[in-house]
Amino acid sequence: MSAAYTRLRTALPPLAVSGLVLVLWYLGSYVLIDADRRFLLPPPHEVVRVALDPANLAELMAGLGLSAQVAVLGLGIAAVVGLLLAALMSQARWIERAVYPYAVLLQTVPILALVPLFGFWFGFGLPSRVLTCVLIALFPITANTLFGLRSTDPALHDLFTLHRASRWTRLVKLQLPAALPSILTGLRISAGAAVIGAIVGDFFFQQGQPGLGQLIYLYPRRLQSELLFAAVILASLLGLVVFWLFGTVARYATAWHDSQQRPASTGQGAAR
Amino acid sequence: MTDHGPALSFEQVGMHYPTGTTALDDVTLHVGAGEFVAVVGPSGCGKSTLLRLAAGLLTPTSGTVARSAARLGFVFQDPTLLPWRSVRRNVELAGELRREPAAQRRERAEQALARVGLTGAADQLPRTLSGGMRMRVSLARTLAGQPELMLFDEPFGSLDEITRERLGEELQSLFVADGFAGLLVTHSVAEAVYLAERVVVMADRRIVGEVAVPLPYPREPQVRFWPDFTALTANVTELLRGSSAERTAAVAR
Repeated sequence: MSAAYTRLRTALPPLAVSGLVLVLWYLGSYVLIDADRRFLLPPPHEVVRVALDPANLAELMAGLGLSAQVAVLGLGIAAVVGLLLAALMSQARWIERAVYPYAVLLQTVPILALVPLFGFWFGFGLPSRVLTCVLIALFPITANTLFGLRSTDPALHDLFTLHRASRWTRLVKLQLPAALPSILTGLRISAGAAVIGAIVGDFFFQQGQPGLGQLIYLYPRRLQSELLFAAVILASLLGLVVFWLFGTVARYATAWHDSQQRPASTGQGAAR
Repeated sequence: MTDHGPALSFEQVGMHYPTGTTALDDVTLHVGAGEFVAVVGPSGCGKSTLLRLAAGLLTPTSGTVARSAARLGFVFQDPTLLPWRSVRRNVELAGELRREPAAQRRERAEQALARVGLTGAADQLPRTLSGGMRMRVSLARTLAGQPELMLFDEPFGSLDEITRERLGEELQSLFVADGFAGLLVTHSVAEAVYLAERVVVMADRRIVGEVAVPLPYPREPQVRFWPDFTALTANVTELLRGSSAERTAAVAR
């Protein structure tokens, strides 16, 4: 009983907030807006009904599938490239000096503005969409990993020096594990960026197979406001799932880290 | 205990940086095999530099540092553990870096943990341990390497006084049992006199004096209340004070 009670106490506040949002949404649809302008804010059950229509559902799911695929591929490539870049830069200051400015440049150039260029060069298929995603997601993972690799305790470095550890041993046994919390923070930021890159990038492509972004662009032009809402909600859910996934991975992978410890006395009432 | 030739010797060692700062000036110091020497001095007197030179983490700009001891142990100011590794795997680390066979380093780790009384905590993560226990893990990691020379950099400085004294006693019984040579850097006069055969006093980046401690090992914890002990700590304190008075006079001039 007490376990169920605790779970309820944890779930209740966010559930209450989503309930409140639904109430406000209905109020908006039926009280604030005249019936002939209801398409501006269709009520939730209408959104669900239209989205569940088989033809619409197929279109939405295909869009979601494509965007998710682009985001995951983009994030995966960005993670591998970012880790390698950071590991390389951590080995020598001159490498960092040579490479880092361009990583920063990547962050400051409005990559979405380059989308037409990528389409021009690589076509409007999967490769250029993934490329956009990689470029958007690359900086956070690189910068955070580098920061983590650089901020290892100097005394631990001394310990490895005393035992004449090689660069490789030092990187694998000391720096990478010590940097894990930073790496996961970077991955989480990159993951969010990758989802945005996949959806907004798609929005800019406007050609080829439609992902969620193109659907979000199309629906208002077809005056399909229920589907617009459904697509926006799906896009947000995709971001949420990715965020939650990385949060969970981080919690298990860095259980040893102080950031994962809860203060001893939270959850009053749960003790009984 | 000092008749086997020096485990560590400093000959007129200086550490001068190109920026003009001097970290150590004209230090000559010998630590015999199986001898325990303590260095006391105020913060910034160069004693940490001395220890890093002894460990080979720094190279002197003048003079020579010679170490005949092949196996070196270094106990840092903080426990310096890998927080993602269990206590056992932390103790095994040194053997791992020296590429000892797995069975051997496992066995040595077990022995070392038993000696510091931590067998029961072998599978815990460092963060679940108290400060004193973490320091014991650090000691065990060093012991597992079977050192001939142990270097201690203010090893118990971050602990409360009760834990600090108890660890000092444990360290002494390890020293008596193993007979390694020890060089302890500390700012606690009592700790230095309790542990060492000789207390070297440093001030202002050089050695200003030395006090021999003729109390026989093993020293009971109560030694600290004996008149001889008090007299010795007074001698060391005198040297520390004298050098700072000299310095004040020099500045006033």
